[in-house]
Amino acid sequence: MKTLILGIGNPILTDDAVGICVADEIKKLSLPDVEVIETSLAGISLLDYIVGYERLIIIDSIKTEKEVPGTLYKLKLEDISNSATTSYSHGINIKTAIGLGRKLGYKIPKIIEIYAIEIKDNTTFGEGCTPAVKSKIPGIVDEITKIIKSDQPQHLP
Amino acid sequence: MAKRITIDPITRLEGHGKIEIFLNDEGNVDRAFFQVPELRGFEKFSEGRMAEEMPRITPKICGVCPTAHHMASGKALDDLFHVTPPSPAKKIRELINSAFMGEDHTLHFFFLGGPDFIVGPQAPAGERNILGVIQKVGLDAGKKVIDIRKRLRNIITKQGGRVIHPVCNLPGGVSKGVTKEDREEYIQTGKEAVEFARFALKAFEDIVLKNKEYVDVIVGDIYKHKTYYMGLVDKDNKVNFYDGDIRVVDPEGKEFARFKSREYLDHIEEHVEPWSYIKFPYLKDVGWKGFVDGKDSGVYRVAPLARLNASDGMATPLAQVEYEKMYNILGGKPAHNTLAYHWARLVELLYAAERLLELAQDEEILDSDVRNIPTAVPDEGIGVVEAPRGTLYHHYKTDDNGVITGVNLIVATVNNAASICMSIEKAAKGLIKEGKVSEGLLNMVEMAFRAYDPCLACATHSLPGHMPLEINIRDHEANILETIRRS
Repeated sequence: MKTLILGIGNPILTDDAVGICVADEIKKLSLPDVEVIETSLAGISLLDYIVGYERLIIIDSIKTEKEVPGTLYKLKLEDISNSATTSYSHGINIKTAIGLGRKLGYKIPKIIEIYAIEIKDNTTFGEGCTPAVKSKIPGIVDEITKIIKSDQPQHLP
Repeated sequence: MAKRITIDPITRLEGHGKIEIFLNDEGNVDRAFFQVPELRGFEKFSEGRMAEEMPRITPKICGVCPTAHHMASGKALDDLFHVTPPSPAKKIRELINSAFMGEDHTLHFFFLGGPDFIVGPQAPAGERNILGVIQKVGLDAGKKVIDIRKRLRNIITKQGGRVIHPVCNLPGGVSKGVTKEDREEYIQTGKEAVEFARFALKAFEDIVLKNKEYVDVIVGDIYKHKTYYMGLVDKDNKVNFYDGDIRVVDPEGKEFARFKSREYLDHIEEHVEPWSYIKFPYLKDVGWKGFVDGKDSGVYRVAPLARLNASDGMATPLAQVEYEKMYNILGGKPAHNTLAYHWARLVELLYAAERLLELAQDEEILDSDVRNIPTAVPDEGIGVVEAPRGTLYHHYKTDDNGVITGVNLIVATVNNAASICMSIEKAAKGLIKEGKVSEGLLNMVEMAFRAYDPCLACATHSLPGHMPLEINIRDHEANILETIRRS
């Protein structure tokens, strides 16, 4: 299955980079039929990347402050709120972008899985995640890799 | 290890966009504040690094306007190393910047500002988005929007050397020239961008200008502030996004100041408020008089409408026609109508497209002389460009080895910080009466700052992938009466 892994984050904003760090580790494994892209873009600009793939795996950070840093959440597209009203240029989230892509008739991946990692600090400039998040990266990489290899998507849209 | 949750954007609101509206005893608006999170430690992060790294680091501050940061940073390095890029290099940089302005303005109009007008200011929130826009303008138009943005981004990627964050700018020039093959593609994209911009202006005319209700909203008093305006201009006082002098006009449109990048600290000072992380820049020679407009207040505005107000016109023919038309309809220059930022943005979209085409058609763009090697000892450098959201200042200091010892940035939106607060407060005061608030009215309050397309703390991309906004309405004792959350 032609798969795209999108690691999303800001590489110089401490834990915001975790999606990129995880994607980078998966990239090193050179999994067959899997392409890995690391990006700082969000929302509508992601449309340029995802068209043409059958399966999309998004790895991003999340800050709920309800769980310990490094906790991995497996999400469906429906779990993300729809940005009906947006106020900023990056205010169109992936769900809206995918909805738009489908409406315009682009070939959007049928299977979309989102892996979000609880973070601690995304407001301090710095390279590398905080220790609490960093220590969880190898386990997260293993878990996501296992899911990709099993070819069994965790969620269907 | 894994857990399943439903994302509740409310949990992330702390430190995100927040509007606080305070009501008095009668339930009318007393004060309104707009707050954003603080990103810490950029200066510390930069200190001790080689200055040449800055054009690669600074674009990462912001996922929305990386190209503008790359341009300002490249110019700051030219200044720092006392080297002037050859003419073809300047043209290549301006070509990239024009492509960027075009794609960013397109995004804003169709996805963010546009829905308010194309779908309607008080239309149900669920329809007031890009899907609602497409419903009105048609699927083909939607495809046009996606396609032209992709083509413009392709120029940035090819010439910038990397997807998203360009890496082409070096002190004294750029890392590569334009190939004949790529140039043909850029010319084609330029032509299509000009046609697209005309299509966008036509849509604006048909849907917005022909609707009296919308025009009344645009020219209405609640969206009006008489401020100073700032923007880069060329030698003929025409708008320029990449180079020139910084020009400031007063609320009557008279030139108040015209200065070089290096002199910016002689003209701009920053005011600090205890309730905000943002510093509020103002004109030093006028002084800070609070969040008020008028000739005696140093508050100035930047970005599309401000740039047009601060100039004597557009340097390309079709954009000039649209410029004149806009001011004719708005009743002369300067125009103080905040919502006219949307219109000015489309005039600039056309200028960016025409300029892109001009540069791509220029024979000199193929010249391989794209860099002058710096030989002087670095010390201090300032670079200024126009980003989509306004004038962007990069200022670096180094030791003799080119190691960064100090950094000061005034990012585009920060210039508008005071005006954004004023615009929100004025709109809130005009719209919220006796404590009565509706979703539609609140959207109209938001429209006051959406016109500026504020981009603050935009470096964070954590899920849900957009910056939520919280509006608190408080009584005179600061108790929360109502909270509205935009997810």
